[in-house]
Amino acid sequence: MTWRLVHRWLGLVAGGVAMVLGVTGAILAWNPVRDTWQAAPTPADLPVSVLVERVSAAIPAVEEIRRLPAGELVVYSFDAGEARAQVVDPADGRVLRDYRPSPVSRWVKNLHRSFLLGDAGRLAAAGFALAMLLLSVAGLMLLVRRLGGWHRLLAPVRGSLVQRIHVVTGRVVLVVLCLSSLTALYMSAATFGLIPTEADDEPDVVSAAGRQADLPGGQLPLLQGLRVQDLRKLSFPAGADPEDTWTVATAHGQGWIDRRSGQTLAWQDAAVVQHIYDWIMLLHTGQGVWAWALVLGVAGASIPLFWGSGLILWWQARHRTPRIVDNSALPQADVLIFVASENGTTWGFAQALHAAFVRNGHRVHSSGLEHFRAGAAARQIFVLAATYGDGQAPAHAALALARIARQPVTAAPVTVLGFGDRQFPAFCAYAEAVDQALRTEGWARLLPLEGIHQQSAQQFARWGEALAQALGEHLVLDYRPRVPPSTALKLVSRQDYPGSAGEPTTILRFVWPARGWKDRLAGRGLPRFVAGDLLGVLPPGSSVPRYYSLASGYRDGFVEICVRKQPGGVCSGHLHGLKAGEYIQAFIQANPGFALDGARRPVMLIGAGTGVAPLAGFIRGNVRRTPMHLYYGTRDPALDFYFGPEFQGWLGERRLASLHTAFSRTPDGGGYVQDTLRRDAARLRELISQGAIVRVCGSRPMAQGVTQVLDGILGAIDLSVQQLKARGRYAEDIF
Amino acid sequence: MFRPLMTTLAAASTLILPALAQSRTLSMSTALKDYGGDGAYLAVYLTDASGAYAGTLWVAGGKAKYYKHLADWNRLSAGDARRLDGVTGASVGAGRTLKVTADLADALLDAGYEIRIDAAVENMRDSPSEIRVPLTAADAGKPHTGRQYIQSFTYQLQ
Repeated sequence: MTWRLVHRWLGLVAGGVAMVLGVTGAILAWNPVRDTWQAAPTPADLPVSVLVERVSAAIPAVEEIRRLPAGELVVYSFDAGEARAQVVDPADGRVLRDYRPSPVSRWVKNLHRSFLLGDAGRLAAAGFALAMLLLSVAGLMLLVRRLGGWHRLLAPVRGSLVQRIHVVTGRVVLVVLCLSSLTALYMSAATFGLIPTEADDEPDVVSAAGRQADLPGGQLPLLQGLRVQDLRKLSFPAGADPEDTWTVATAHGQGWIDRRSGQTLAWQDAAVVQHIYDWIMLLHTGQGVWAWALVLGVAGASIPLFWGSGLILWWQARHRTPRIVDNSALPQADVLIFVASENGTTWGFAQALHAAFVRNGHRVHSSGLEHFRAGAAARQIFVLAATYGDGQAPAHAALALARIARQPVTAAPVTVLGFGDRQFPAFCAYAEAVDQALRTEGWARLLPLEGIHQQSAQQFARWGEALAQALGEHLVLDYRPRVPPSTALKLVSRQDYPGSAGEPTTILRFVWPARGWKDRLAGRGLPRFVAGDLLGVLPPGSSVPRYYSLASGYRDGFVEICVRKQPGGVCSGHLHGLKAGEYIQAFIQANPGFALDGARRPVMLIGAGTGVAPLAGFIRGNVRRTPMHLYYGTRDPALDFYFGPEFQGWLGERRLASLHTAFSRTPDGGGYVQDTLRRDAARLRELISQGAIVRVCGSRPMAQGVTQVLDGILGAIDLSVQQLKARGRYAEDIF
Repeated sequence: MFRPLMTTLAAASTLILPALAQSRTLSMSTALKDYGGDGAYLAVYLTDASGAYAGTLWVAGGKAKYYKHLADWNRLSAGDARRLDGVTGASVGAGRTLKVTADLADALLDAGYEIRIDAAVENMRDSPSEIRVPLTAADAGKPHTGRQYIQSFTYQLQ
């Protein structure tokens, strides 16, 4: 419900500081890796007593030996008035170098844990760790919701590049970030003494008085039984104090030894709290476990990526939410518009609908679907509902269905318009649920439920026409999608086909103007694109773009589209009238759910008519010779066999593994594209069970027919198109 | 436990003095080396002629969980429930100087007492009894160098 709010505001407020923690954490995580790399290896099962002998022989007046988590042995000594710290090789006690902890590391560590501000900074850092934890948990909940449940947590992610960066990095590192924040909180609590980290009481022991000389460290039974790999610290008895003892600390506990008799005076096993703290330290710092340190480092370094992409997403959503002008109060309004929108895009449509009614003199009220209520003056009610992920309600409207059920039914009809994306299995599922709930309650409707695919302005305009007719009033929906800056593309060649049914078709090839490095940096001009992305074309005098699937990629060096002339079509008419050398205004819109991701798995391409264009683009770009199988249905080889000669060439170059055609208007042509699938059913099953991915492009009836036939074929291996879609292996581009 | 005849920080003196007229002010200056580490914990305390604990003059560093690293002071003063009363402050950064004063009964001077300082720094080795200086009129004003962290320790009597 409010996870999105928590995530957004914590991200905005705490994200910048969390970035400091992440970057410094990533730098610190490098230390265990480097230390492990540098540390001289400790021979297995080397007794501590042998180490003491070796070290004592090499260094006079040793006072203490410490084994650092990465395995380095540091020997502290005090000789001739000088305190020294030296790193020794455990294998022979040889002095390797002076021990000098890096001041930079210490500075970074203090920045990381206290922002260089002492205890106040430590408290602040703990606060940000808590914020990070909440942020991560909220992110995880959003991720689960977006992907459609815990069981789909590993499903492929669809959406824009920024969305995918945010979500994919989230999926990879969220758990690590949760763990880092939790352990940070534990460590803070320990620092402030709220959680004990070791046993309170130490035994009060002293070396027994006596006249005999000290026993050398090599002869102490306790040290003979301890292994160097478990050692943490060994303190030699101070020369001046006859009562002082040997003190040895290992991961398992602490021992005290009489300096003269060599007897173990006391042994104290490490307390449970200390074991817990050791684990917390290990999990947080990665000390001694370089592979885990690397994981921690990557998670820390990902925070800037997270924050940056999160900020961009927030900014985009903010700019998509328009302000509604002339919003009347609900009780007075005769037209009510309720909106359910996860990221704000649907509000743009609501705004257009709102403005159209206001122009006709209506009093209109627009608000979120969670406020659903019919005022006494209401004559028409509209619900514009977007579907998020796997069919859930947008966050703000989570309780809207329950609210609808509580409202008294009035005579005003409620019309539902759904928004969604056919790439998702549950296209407009939430709008359907709302519509269903309204009908169950007994609300009338003016128009049946309609689903708008990918914010199509044309589809919305058509719905507006139907609405105007049903209302009996002139209504113009002036929805202007934000059109990205366009580039002038020059037509270099065209291939004309007579087409069937008097609808000529042409394959147009354009080139783009050269870009200087300044344009590239500023993001001007045509961005990189791949086959299957969309070319948005702006016909002269119109701000509403028409989209065509791209039959080429950026690397091909040209933009190619396949355009069938629509009767009365403004854009297709314009394109068909173009001569070589003339220009169009166009831009690229990514179509990430449809374009191929480059995985080396067999690919099944199914297309009909001009829908073959993006599939031809995939094959043209198949330089790695991934096995691609094309199932292609059209009407007549003489009239509309687009890309026919190219396919033959690509078969020869092994860019295309097999070609199956069907011509529906020629005798013995093989029927429709569905028939090619039926004929090849056995191999299809084999390809799919090998992990093949499927791309379908064409008209809606064709896509439905293909789904039906494939479900029939795949039923034998307990699979369905629905399941393939859910796994991201099946995508459609439908027009 | 009987708390001996001295107290600390003139302003904060709370301890029993037989006769205030017979006391004087002890000013101590502890300059730390630039040892390249975080702030040092220091315990400044007195021992008597037999080496027994006689009172705490100052403890720099506020987290009790680290006091075990000031090993000698921690052990010797373990029985003194009021060892921290009014005598604690922040840890002392590398290269910095700690200046504190205490009220001192005249009877303690030239009577075999010693001023001792234990020092400890995070992730560096502990240095118990880093400084041991006799409390005598003759030693006042003479600088003493510690083994690990203390560049010079000087005390003055007024």
